[in-house]
Amino acid sequence: MDKQEKAGGIRVTFEAAQAQAAAAIDAAPSLLTQYRCPLCRKVFACYDDLKTHYAMEHAGSILPITISLNVNDKDSEMLIEPNWTLLQALQYRLGLTGAKHMCERGACGSCTVIIDGRPMLSCHLLAVECEGKKITTVEGIAADKKWKPLIDAYCKWDAMQCGYCTPGFLVTAKVLLDRNPNPTEQDIKEALAGNICICGTYPRHAQAILEAVEVMARPPEEPKPAPGPGGPGGFGGFGGFGGFGQGGN
Amino acid sequence: MADIVGINGQREEFRVVGKPNLPGVLSYALATGVAKFGTDYTAPDMLFAKFLRSPYAHAKILSIDATKAKAIPGVVDVILWDDPDLMNLGGSPFGPPKSYLGTVAHQEKQEVGAIVVAESEELCEEALRQLDVQWEVLPHVIDLRKGAEPDYPVVRGPEDEGPPDMFSMPDPNAPAKQGNVSFVNKIEGDIEEGYKQADYIIEYDTNLPAFASHIPNPPASIAWWEDDPYHGPGKSLHIEGAVQRRENVGQMYHVPAEKTIQEGLFQGGKYCDWGLRMSQEITPLLAKRTGRPVRCANTREETFDFLMNERFCHLRVGFTKEGLITVIDDNSIADNGVPGSSAFGVAQDQGYGPYYTLKCQNISQKYKVVDSNRGKLYTSGQHCPFNWDTLTMAIAIIAEKLGKDPIDIAKLNLHGPTSQSDTDEVPSFEACIEAGRKYTDWNWHPARAKRLPDGRLHGASFRYQMCPRHAFSGYDCKLELRGGKVHMPTQGPCTGIYAVEANAMVVAEELGLNYEDVIVDFDYREKFTPVGGGSDGTTASSWAMKECANILKQKILESAIKAAENPPAPSMFGGFGGFGRQQAPNPLKGMKPEDLDMVGGNIIVKADPSKSIALASATQENIFATYSGRPPAALWSTGMGKMLDTMNTAYCEVAVDEETGEVEILKLSVVADPGKVMRLTSLESQIDQVMFFSQGCQLLEEYVFDERTGVRLNANMIDYKKPTMLDVPSVNRKFLETRAGNAAYGANGISHSLANTHLIIIAIYNAIGVWVDPPATPDKVLKALGKC
Repeated sequence: MDKQEKAGGIRVTFEAAQAQAAAAIDAAPSLLTQYRCPLCRKVFACYDDLKTHYAMEHAGSILPITISLNVNDKDSEMLIEPNWTLLQALQYRLGLTGAKHMCERGACGSCTVIIDGRPMLSCHLLAVECEGKKITTVEGIAADKKWKPLIDAYCKWDAMQCGYCTPGFLVTAKVLLDRNPNPTEQDIKEALAGNICICGTYPRHAQAILEAVEVMARPPEEPKPAPGPGGPGGFGGFGGFGGFGQGGN
Repeated sequence: MADIVGINGQREEFRVVGKPNLPGVLSYALATGVAKFGTDYTAPDMLFAKFLRSPYAHAKILSIDATKAKAIPGVVDVILWDDPDLMNLGGSPFGPPKSYLGTVAHQEKQEVGAIVVAESEELCEEALRQLDVQWEVLPHVIDLRKGAEPDYPVVRGPEDEGPPDMFSMPDPNAPAKQGNVSFVNKIEGDIEEGYKQADYIIEYDTNLPAFASHIPNPPASIAWWEDDPYHGPGKSLHIEGAVQRRENVGQMYHVPAEKTIQEGLFQGGKYCDWGLRMSQEITPLLAKRTGRPVRCANTREETFDFLMNERFCHLRVGFTKEGLITVIDDNSIADNGVPGSSAFGVAQDQGYGPYYTLKCQNISQKYKVVDSNRGKLYTSGQHCPFNWDTLTMAIAIIAEKLGKDPIDIAKLNLHGPTSQSDTDEVPSFEACIEAGRKYTDWNWHPARAKRLPDGRLHGASFRYQMCPRHAFSGYDCKLELRGGKVHMPTQGPCTGIYAVEANAMVVAEELGLNYEDVIVDFDYREKFTPVGGGSDGTTASSWAMKECANILKQKILESAIKAAENPPAPSMFGGFGGFGRQQAPNPLKGMKPEDLDMVGGNIIVKADPSKSIALASATQENIFATYSGRPPAALWSTGMGKMLDTMNTAYCEVAVDEETGEVEILKLSVVADPGKVMRLTSLESQIDQVMFFSQGCQLLEEYVFDERTGVRLNANMIDYKKPTMLDVPSVNRKFLETRAGNAAYGANGISHSLANTHLIIIAIYNAIGVWVDPPATPDKVLKALGKC
């Protein structure tokens, strides 16, 4: 499809964003089928061959490791540098960019993910530490229609300006609501105090979360025919990046 | 209401414009994390790049030996400053050859001397460590007052100067530069006479704090070259992360606009920090050299530039016993920053300063502008236009001395709408203060005169500003009716100001549509971008878009009448009436465009609205409308305060604990007249943002330098304190609509003008009776009280 056609008429709906988030999760590779040397790009069929290659060609260099992460209920095997953070692994190996690079020091909350039910800062966790744990990113929340009221309320109240830090807030808000479905405004402020928004959107988050709480407390509506998906085009731009940049191992 | 130029400027009823809670067209992508910013992009086979950065505040590279770095497995390229590729990228065709990458660093962490490209970020860092760099450490200026001394070492030579900043306002009559100091003077009226007329003269210092921009998304780009036979010879450049400077980056590499691709829609926070970082410019060169996609990203520590420069203002103000100011005598020492810093916050302020809102016409502004190694201010300082609170502070001090309400002092001194000699009231200001007094339950008191029941001291402060609107940018608007739907092609990428949405709302208003019915087509090749002039550009661009919408409307009505007169033949396949089916009479037949209107997605007959036809059925033509232009120049930019239209006011109440030095903001209120509210929810958010900035710089944020080395000690988000959700109170906001601006429907912008450096500081003074320089941290409050 021509890029121009894809560009036509963007008004991102929940369904479109949900489809895009689900597509990003689907696109994350599951199994390692090849082992590429990160120093010279030679490709090997198994890890032992890569190890031998390192011993022969790159003696003294640090050997990459293989790990398996469970992200958004999907197991993914990957080859990483041992010192990589979870944030790096999510971006460079799984193509999930909802967790954002910002302070790189665990001070701003933009990289927040959920690990075993707790909000954690992925810029401060080694990826290797996260093996065997259940990791949920903002894409996992977006792909779950249960959280539509929360996302709707964020959009209705402009609880974002530039939007860069917003996924981190949304992840923290989700954890708050998991633990406390009826938070007060003060509860919300305390829960989200670790997330910094340089655009100063703070008052909007409490407004949005309190409204979402009210909507989520209502009895479920009768199911309606599902609207069509918003199309596979990535919202990074005009569609050229769906799948591009998944960072093969 | 003012006589507003343009079609339907006087519109009285609004269905869409001004409405709250309409989600942004891209909001769902942002909230769910599927939006991609420059730093999010990756590509198969991608390389990473990093710049060598100076560990010194001011230093020169004498030599670099890259042998060890190049030998590291996985290091693909090491480029030194004298590489021909870098020499060809920098300089101008008229001067001597100059590399894109210099050998002299004028601030710590400045890119200098070398770039490394490797298979991973870690390898880049290792390669940088293995560069054998010989530095010559040079003297630096961190303390502006020391740097201004005549015998202080000079830190910048003529060879370091770039082209003049676009905002600089050179003073041809100024004394020649002395050491690190340039002089910029602007003197109007008779200063001596002003002093003679004064019953009192006050003298005070106001320190404007430097504080950080740190754009949330670290500046980053990724670039690659790809075959593109459809747009002429040569490869196309694909770059993501160059935000709104796609074409500029393309020009650096001699790539025409049509072959420079950037598809991303999101550029993140800007806060009028429009400067492009080297990490956003260099990747095309590196991709060309390596034949692979290259990503280059700044770290947070590398992105701690100024949003406002430091300035020390020393003022003498004369005034009568009634409180009428007779002379302003401002002697400032301002930070000129490193080469390439914006003149905003420096000489530029003299043109837009607060003093021209006064009846007093004896105004002297003498600035010593000091070259320094503190840091860089890119393009414009969002925070405070500009040295506004030197006047806010004068009004507070006069009020205190005379025992009068500062609002009354401000009212006495504010000139009328048309000139400094105009003694009439400014209707917008009068409306703001009348509403503000009621809204805030305003009850000013002298310093240290009020204690709260819990024993803390209470303080209050007031501030006014004029609402700016930028009309420097023209706008090239285009609208299209295609398949019965109205499309608004827009360039992108977007910041967080919801300008596209405000424009779509105006289109919907003018064409009788719902907001959701206007389809926004993002295409980087389109011309229209509503961003020019920051968020204030929203009101200016939507004025132009309003004109465009009405051109489209006229064409639609003409086309609909034409279709009514000449209905298409019935289709065999049932479209448009259907073959053999009796067509209903078209109600538009025999009408003229002026007989018709567009309401609720229909074209109606004005005289009988029951006669209508759906827009989608009225015409099958593909109709375009274009409009290029801008609204009349804003008073803010033409009058520079000497003329006034819409105003805003802010009110603060604090409690100060004398035992702990802690300051609590009890109430922060804004009563503002944006002329006309365009998009209520984002207007409210703009107020929240500027007040958030203001609270941060007055209570928490501060650069800390090691003066000996010139190194910033807190350029990270742990040690540099931004307010959190628990630190800031909500802002009470009230909007008035005098329709006195001259953008769409009489709107003016509002964003920068409420940002302030001293509203809270003045409230603290009103509480404790002594001045505390920002940031008013508890230790400084206690020190001011003589307690530590």
